[in-house]
Amino acid sequence: MNSFTRVALAPLPILAVLLAGCERPPIQTEQTGYRGTGMEQIYNPRTLKKLAAANQAPAAPAVAPNPDGPKAGATYQNVKVLGDLSVADFTRLMVSITQWVAPQEGCNYCHNPENLADDSKYTKVVARRMIQMTQHVNADWKAHVGGTGVTCYTCHRGHPQPAQVWYAPADRKYKNAVLGNDAKQNRAAASVALSSLPYDPFTPYLKEDQPIRVNGNEALRQLGEGAHRTSTKQAEFTYALMMHMSSSLGVNCTFCHNTRAFQSWEESTPKRATAWHGIRMARDLNVSYLEPLTGTFPASRLGPKGDVAKVNCSTCHQGIHKPLYGAQMAKDFPELGAKTGTP
Amino acid sequence: MAEYQNLFTQVQPTGPVSEGVPLPKGDWERTGVPFFLHLLGRLGNAQIGPVYLGGLGVASLIAGTLSFNIIGFNMLASVDWNPIQMVRQIFWLALDPPAPSYGLHLPPLGDGGWWMLAGFLLTISLLLWWARTYRRARQLGMGTHVAWAFAAAIWLFLVCGFFRPVLMGSWAEAVPFGIFPHLDWVAALSLRHGNFFYNPFHALSIVFLYGSVLLFAMHGATILAVTRFGGEREIEQIVDRGTASERAALFWRWTMGFNATMESIHRWAWWFAVLCPLVGGLGVLLTGTVVDNWYLWSMKHGVVPSYPEVYPVVVDPALMGGK
Amino acid sequence: MAMLSFERKYRIRGGTLVTGDLFDFWIGPFYVGFFGISGAFFTVLGTVMILYGAAIGPTWNLWQISIAPPDVSYGLRFAPIREGGLWQIITVCALGSFVSWALREVEICRKLGMGYHVPVAFGFAIGAYFTLEVVRPVLMGAWGHAFPYGIYSHLDWVSNVAYQYLHFHYNPWHCIAASLFFATTLALSLHGALVLSATNPKRGEEVKTPEHEDTFFRDFIGYSVGTLGIHRLGLFLALSSVVFAGLCIVVSGPFWTRSWPEWWGWWLNMPIWR
Repeated sequence: MNSFTRVALAPLPILAVLLAGCERPPIQTEQTGYRGTGMEQIYNPRTLKKLAAANQAPAAPAVAPNPDGPKAGATYQNVKVLGDLSVADFTRLMVSITQWVAPQEGCNYCHNPENLADDSKYTKVVARRMIQMTQHVNADWKAHVGGTGVTCYTCHRGHPQPAQVWYAPADRKYKNAVLGNDAKQNRAAASVALSSLPYDPFTPYLKEDQPIRVNGNEALRQLGEGAHRTSTKQAEFTYALMMHMSSSLGVNCTFCHNTRAFQSWEESTPKRATAWHGIRMARDLNVSYLEPLTGTFPASRLGPKGDVAKVNCSTCHQGIHKPLYGAQMAKDFPELGAKTGTP
Repeated sequence: MAEYQNLFTQVQPTGPVSEGVPLPKGDWERTGVPFFLHLLGRLGNAQIGPVYLGGLGVASLIAGTLSFNIIGFNMLASVDWNPIQMVRQIFWLALDPPAPSYGLHLPPLGDGGWWMLAGFLLTISLLLWWARTYRRARQLGMGTHVAWAFAAAIWLFLVCGFFRPVLMGSWAEAVPFGIFPHLDWVAALSLRHGNFFYNPFHALSIVFLYGSVLLFAMHGATILAVTRFGGEREIEQIVDRGTASERAALFWRWTMGFNATMESIHRWAWWFAVLCPLVGGLGVLLTGTVVDNWYLWSMKHGVVPSYPEVYPVVVDPALMGGK
Repeated sequence: MAMLSFERKYRIRGGTLVTGDLFDFWIGPFYVGFFGISGAFFTVLGTVMILYGAAIGPTWNLWQISIAPPDVSYGLRFAPIREGGLWQIITVCALGSFVSWALREVEICRKLGMGYHVPVAFGFAIGAYFTLEVVRPVLMGAWGHAFPYGIYSHLDWVSNVAYQYLHFHYNPWHCIAASLFFATTLALSLHGALVLSATNPKRGEEVKTPEHEDTFFRDFIGYSVGTLGIHRLGLFLALSSVVFAGLCIVVSGPFWTRSWPEWWGWWLNMPIWR
């Protein structure tokens, strides 16, 4: 090998190292826009296989709902939400919830075995509220969950605490030092798919109601009161939220947008409207159901800033654009479809 | 076919080092003992050094080093002084401008003040380096083309970090000092202002960027192809055209019906390279200050292609009573 | 006749790769040769196809005309003329025309006794086009993944393809390619400026020498690559830009399906600091 060949071959090991971080063909694609516009979903079929295995809905209960017979509220004490269910359906739901949420821990995860009506365990109080939250989602957020609806399993997946929740992020150690202000961004954050975009897009948009839209409606800069004044920094925060949404759903930006004009609804796919409602739904659940439970949880269940675990897109979606591939679980539990009990 | 193609220097004769053209009175001495690096000699000159420091150069280096250190120590502090994390996350770390709420006011040191200081020192450093570029050329009796080309780059730097933020009334519009974060800024600027691909100045700037690369490939290749006739002695070919120049010219004339001359190709080169940051800077400067949304602007001017509908029309839920 | 003062003595027979003396002539300043004929054929056919595409399309607005590849559902098969077949013919014509142009340059090099640097460099550009329009679509399994022919429509495609990976700036090859593009432009400005500043010196001074050029750059940054080296450096930078630009897009899809920021996971999770 002469010296020229050696020089020419020198970059090859570097290329090999860079490619080692990559995937391999064949891949799988799905066109979602007019041809030649590049609106496509790009999938790795090996990853899809793993995702499919990890996102299987459990089998429906062996018994069908049976509204006949005495009511649970009349039979048991302290039934505040599900009192109108028949004892059969009540028991059926309790068994299912145990399988969905606490299969290892069993009934005693929430209930005092001495007295099942006892509210002394915080888990029981939380679970009652979560049943109401599920009902609220199925009854009032059809714009997002459609006819499919949700059950406890949509988020819990057999764990007492859903795997994918968010807290307000911890401060760095020397947060008051005069050096090293990170401007709420500039670290490799999993919340924003390892980019350096703002690492907490949840507080402003899924808890607070900060404006997400950053584009104006005029071509030229307007002057005066009504002028559009959104900053580039705000665009970074919105971008951060969108990074979270995309990676939670396992899709790319073109799932909802024709990226040549992100703001244009005429250019968008119908999925964007569904997602729009999803953002509001997550915010509603965090504000109306989860935050009020802050005092109910023991400190060990709270985040570094003492806040309760909250939902974002990945809590249900877990890498798939339809949670559990749209499995029709909720239809087996009509009692989760309408709101009951005191709000 | 086994014909000599000039790619790398095969045989390197080593002579005494070149001390360079004598400097006029009043200049400093040159610094450093020149030495040869064989590997560099494969490509071009093997000699490294000497270098001329001078008052401007020293001042520029001091300001630049200070700026570099401010940025670096802020990055290190942002990972709680953990050097391993500093290396691990170096691409992600940054020193950010003040938050939008400060407008054009002076922020506290820990809240964007360091950014202002680093930016100021870096600007001073660049301007001093520019003056040095100008002065070095003049001291050798040469034209100042390098300095003016450098000025075009400084223009783009100042537009992004100073002129546009001032016109927008907010330091927060400026570019953070960081590798990925400055790329986030680029993307966010485009997103906020309706897609930079619809900014015609951006398009022109890209044309000059790609054009420059194309030109350098064409020029570099042409000169290498006529080195067997002494083509790399460009100054000599400019003042006294030889067969290398003639063949190079005819090659392009026969290929595309047009040719530059040995001098004019360097004017083409200079202008292409200089116009890239010049019009790019203009495109950035107009963004947000004059044009708020380049996509809508392009719609107005009828250049946006329309595609056949694939979906039923999607209506903004916010217009249908959604909140 | 458009001939330069010194041109006649260079217009000699020979140097052709094929068909001997048959097409060994000039038209005006243009050399023809066999590849001039084949190039003209592909160019005219391709242009006519583009015009036909515009005629059956919705607009004659130059900025909006777009000739799109077939739907992804066609895979790697032929598509009907109005549904992407036109794009397929135009792509073949483009490649035929580009390759003809490169080979014509080879013949001209041979005529003038020059090295083959220019056609080889042009080959890199053809390679980038071939990568975008043929290699990547083939690796992804459909012509529909290629870009459309239109001034703004190809930018729409670039935008969407970039956002298929959420934040394309994190693509390491894109980082390298963009850096190389800027570096090449910087080097070009410095080279152009240096030669101009030597040949257009301070008023009243004589034209300077390469010794001055080297001295200026050594004074300036401590190193001067030299009159020969700068052309090697420029060519090398320019070709590297093109190579990395091609790489950055061919890995997007066939070798990476997720967001580009997530690609950096391997770096963040290296055992030395995880």
